[in-house]
Amino acid sequence: MKIKDLIKQDAGFQYIIDSMEFMSPAGRRKTLNTEFCTDADTLTAEWQRLDEAISATLAFKFKKPYIDLRHCLMQLHDLQGTLASLANHTPLNEVELFEIKNLAQLTRTATGAIAGLGMSEALPLPDTTEIFALLDPDHTGIANFYIYDSYDPRLTPLRRELQALQASEGDPLRISDLLAQQNEIQCEVCLRLSDQLTHWTSTLVTAMEQLAYIDSLLAKADLAIRWELTKPTLGDHIEYTGLVNPRLKQRNEAAHLRYQPVDIALYNGVCLITGANMAGKTILLKSVGTAQLMAQCGMYVPAGKAVVKLVDGVATSIGDDQDEMNGLSSYASEIIKISNILSSCRTATLLVLIDEPARTTNPIEGKALVQALIKILNTMDSFTLITTHYGQLGAHCRRLRVKGFVEDLSDMPLTPQSINRFIDYSLTEDPTDSVPHEALRIAAILGCDNELIHLAQESINQ
Amino acid sequence: MPFIPDILNHRSLAIVGLEKNTGKTVCLNYILHRLNQMNIPVGVTSIGVDGEQVDAVFATAKPEITLYPGTLFITSEQHYLKRQLLSVIKHVDSQRTSLGPLVTAQVLIPGKALLSGAATTAVLRRQIQQLDSMGTRLTIVDGALSRLSLASPTVTEAMILATGAAVSANVKQLVARTKFLYRLICLDEVDPELRNRLSIIESGLWAVDSDGQPHDLGIASVFLIDRAETDLLRYGRTLFASGAVSDRLLRVLAAKGKDITLITRDFTKLFITPEAYTELTRRGGHIMVLQRSRLLAVTLNPTSPQGYLLDSKSTCDALSDALQMPVYDVKKIEQ
Repeated sequence: MKIKDLIKQDAGFQYIIDSMEFMSPAGRRKTLNTEFCTDADTLTAEWQRLDEAISATLAFKFKKPYIDLRHCLMQLHDLQGTLASLANHTPLNEVELFEIKNLAQLTRTATGAIAGLGMSEALPLPDTTEIFALLDPDHTGIANFYIYDSYDPRLTPLRRELQALQASEGDPLRISDLLAQQNEIQCEVCLRLSDQLTHWTSTLVTAMEQLAYIDSLLAKADLAIRWELTKPTLGDHIEYTGLVNPRLKQRNEAAHLRYQPVDIALYNGVCLITGANMAGKTILLKSVGTAQLMAQCGMYVPAGKAVVKLVDGVATSIGDDQDEMNGLSSYASEIIKISNILSSCRTATLLVLIDEPARTTNPIEGKALVQALIKILNTMDSFTLITTHYGQLGAHCRRLRVKGFVEDLSDMPLTPQSINRFIDYSLTEDPTDSVPHEALRIAAILGCDNELIHLAQESINQ
Repeated sequence: MPFIPDILNHRSLAIVGLEKNTGKTVCLNYILHRLNQMNIPVGVTSIGVDGEQVDAVFATAKPEITLYPGTLFITSEQHYLKRQLLSVIKHVDSQRTSLGPLVTAQVLIPGKALLSGAATTAVLRRQIQQLDSMGTRLTIVDGALSRLSLASPTVTEAMILATGAAVSANVKQLVARTKFLYRLICLDEVDPELRNRLSIIESGLWAVDSDGQPHDLGIASVFLIDRAETDLLRYGRTLFASGAVSDRLLRVLAAKGKDITLITRDFTKLFITPEAYTELTRRGGHIMVLQRSRLLAVTLNPTSPQGYLLDSKSTCDALSDALQMPVYDVKKIEQ
C-alpha cells in the first residue's frame, strides 16, 4: 500500500501529509507513492537519512547550501512525460530540450549544495555534466536554450540573411522561405539531440527521482522539526510516551484549550479500553493508527518516545466513515468491516483498531459479539485495541481505563467547551471487569433536557 | 507619437477591448514598434488565448504580433513552437495550460508570434513580476476576447481601451457603449483610509457605518441578495461588495432606498448594464471604487468584422467629445 491509498483510509494521516511543505510537485508525488514498509532494515536506513536531514536542516536552515538546495527543488519540474518520450525514442522539441538542460543544471547545483550539507553519501546524485555539455554547445554555463548556430553549419548564414531581411523589411516570401528552412534544420537538430540523449535516459530518470526524493525527505525533516516528532525504535511491542494527535493538538491550541498527550503500551493480543464518554478513547485509537502509518512510511512519530513493532498493515473499524451512504446500516457496515479484519488477521500480523464494536445493536447480543471478538483476536498474532462501554465481559485480556473526570464536579460551573480541563486523558491498568457509569452526568453537563435525565436516573434506581 | 510617453510612466499596461475585433492587436503592434525604436526593453504576455492567425469566431484574418530583438515574451509551448522568429528559452513554468506549459523567451531575430497566456489573474500577476525581475521596463498584457479582469489595478498599473465598429456599426450606440464603460473606469475612489480597511475583506456584502467601520451583513454572495431578509441599511447607506456586482444587486439597492453608495474593488468587478446603473443613479445612488484604473488612451478600429467601415475621423471626434479625452485610430497614426 502506498501513502496515497493510506490517506484515503485515515483522515489523520491525510492531515499529516497535507501539512508537509513540498518545494515541487515531483516531491509531493514521490511522497504519495511511498510504500508502507514492513522491512526493518529499509526503515532503519530511511529513519537514519531523515535523522541526517533534520540535523542538516537545523544546522543550515538559513545558510547557503540549504537555501540553494531548496531553490533548486523549487525549480524542479516533473518530467515523467518527457523522460518517457525519450525512452520511447520520440524526438523532443525545443521546450522539452530546455527542460532536460534545466534538470541537468539543477542536478549539478543540487550536488554542490548536498555536499555543503555533508550529505553526499546519504543522497548521491548522478553526474549530469555531459548532458549539460551536449545542450550547451557554446559553453555559456546557463540553462537557457535554443537551437544554437553551432549545432549545424547551415544555421549561421541562414540566420544572418534572415536578420538582414527582417531589419530592412525585405521580401516576405524570402523571409518565409528562410523560416521554413530554419525550421527544417531545427527539427533535424532536435532529432539528433534526442537520439543522443536516449543513452542518458536512466541517468536523467535517476536524477529527477532522486531530487524528488530529496524534496520529500526535506519536507519530512521540516515537519519533524516543526511538530517535534520523534524517531521510533524497533521493538517487539508498541509503546508511546506522550502520544499526540497533531490535528487535535493544533485545534486545541488555536482555541487556547489544554492538550494532554497520552502514554500507551500495546502487546501481542487484545487490549480493551474503557472510560467515560468524552474521555478521548476514539481519538486515542486514531492516534495509535496514524502514528503506526507514519512510522512505517519512513516518518517520525508524534510522541515523546516511541517503540514500534512492524506490522503488515493497520486495520480499523472506527465508525465515522461513509459506508452508511452505500445503503448499509451502521451495524451492517461495521460487521462486514470486522469480518474482513478477522480474515486478514489469519494471514498477516496487523495492528487492529476497533471502536466500540456492536454498539448499534441490542446489548445482549452486542456483548456476546464483543466477547467472541476478543476471544478470536486473542488467538491471532496481531496487536488489537478495542474500546467499549460494555462491562462484565468476562473476557481474558488486558484492560486499560481512561482515568476520566478528575474530581467531583457537582459544584463546578461546566460548559461543553470547558469540560476538557477536568478530564484526565491518561490510561491506567484496570483489573476489574466494570465500566464507568457517567453517561447521565455528562449529559447533564452538556445541558441535556432535565426530564430526560431525571427519568433515566429513576429507571436506574429501580 | 501619441500616448507612448504616458505608457513609459508605468511598469505594466493592459490592452483591453470592449469587444472582439476592436483592434487590440493593432494597438499592441503599434506600441511595440514605437518602443523598439526607442530601445526600451519590454515584456509581453497575455491572458487566455490570443494572437490567433485567423479569428476563431468570425474567421477573419488577424494581425499577428511582431516582436523585436531583446523583447521578453511569454506564450504556451504549442504557440512557442509555431513562432516565426528566433528566440532563446529563459524559463518554463511548472503550471500547465491547455496548450502546454508557459514558456518565457527572449527574441534574437525579430518576427511574428502567437501569444497565449495564463488562465487566471493570479498567474498573470506572477508573470508580470517575473518579467519585471528579468529587466523589462514595461510589461504589456494583451487581453483575450472581451475579458476585462487583466485591467484591474491590482494586476496592471495602466490600461488602454480599444473600441470600434465591432461594438456597433451605429456611431451613436458605439459612443454610448464606450462611454458607459468609460464612466465605470473613471468612478471615484474612496479615501485611502477606507480603502485600507476594506481591501483586506475577502468575501461577502458589508455595510460601512458613519465612522467608516465595516460590518458583515452575513450575505455570502450578492447573488443571494434576493433571499436576504436582513435590513441591508441598518448601519447606514454605504455598502461594500467585495466580489462581483450584478444588475440584481443594483436593482435591490435601488429599491431599498435613496442615496445609496455602493463601493466595489475596481471597475472589473462590475458586471452591470447601463439600465440598472441608471436605475441606481436616478434614485441618488452612486458607485465608488477602492482603486481606480489609469486609462491612458482609447483607440478606435473603424472596421467591423462583418465589413462595415465607419468614418475614422468623425467617429474619433464623436468619441473624443463624449469622453473628453483623445481617441486614436492607430492605423491612421501609423500611416
